[in-house]
Amino acid sequence: MADGPSSPGGGSHESGDHSPRSNVREQDRYLPIANISRIMKKALPANGKIAKDAKETVQECVSEFISFITSEASDKCQREKRKTINGDDLLWAMATLGFEDYIDPLKIYLTRYREGDTKGSAKGGETSAKKDVQPGPSAQLAHQGSFSQGVSYTNSQVLRWFFEL
Amino acid sequence: MRQAGAYSGLLCGGVAGRTGPHSLPLARIKKIMKKSGDDVKMISGEAPIIFSKACELFIQELTRRSWIIAMQGKRRTLHKEDLTSAVIATDLFDFLITLVSDSDTRSPGVTTTTMEVETLYQSSAT
Repeated sequence: MADGPSSPGGGSHESGDHSPRSNVREQDRYLPIANISRIMKKALPANGKIAKDAKETVQECVSEFISFITSEASDKCQREKRKTINGDDLLWAMATLGFEDYIDPLKIYLTRYREGDTKGSAKGGETSAKKDVQPGPSAQLAHQGSFSQGVSYTNSQVLRWFFEL
Repeated sequence: MRQAGAYSGLLCGGVAGRTGPHSLPLARIKKIMKKSGDDVKMISGEAPIIFSKACELFIQELTRRSWIIAMQGKRRTLHKEDLTSAVIATDLFDFLITLVSDSDTRSPGVTTTTMEVETLYQSSAT
């Protein structure tokens, strides 16, 4: 889209406020420089060094990138009369603005994140649920079994394992 | 027992080994998103998560492209001028041109063309 680059750019840093890096609200405007530096180093060979001014420039560029994509996604939401910017809006905006190479890695990342997230909460929820639901004599042993194995079995699996012994 | 979740922020931003699953703080990303415009009010939970990865990809691409410029100048340290040149040479980064040429520290000797950087970047990408 041709109007992309012009409109969001102005919106990110309040128009006219070009005093470079006024410390006042730097925390609100940029991502932490240590994190940025860490990611930059990963992209360079081991002997590569990064000057401070380069890190600061990337820091500004990343905020601009977020604003650029968000503005495009926000415009889409307004056109479609929706209030919440969701993940698909961002992916759409990135594809529209030329970052289509990012889409596949992002989808993979999101899938992995979702899987990891549900696994994590299921594990936590399962143990407490067992305690509540299974007051029988086998419950305690079943618990010990699952813990000593270090694997989160489902209730039926643990019971089957218990009775097979 | 309630423990600090991986996404609670307690585990984020620490030393490399202890950093949470995302390499960038989600709350900060959200703040920057909200500053993008007055009509940005509601943001879904997965939006900052997408950005944490997208920013990582963006930083890496910008860094690699700038590194090509530094190497052409036979330097091993990345400077602001390298970023400026990389932005100018890359169509994708057009939206950054005003930002990087603000203080205009660009050395006049930079002659790398868009095509050169593009070819080198594509060949270096694994």
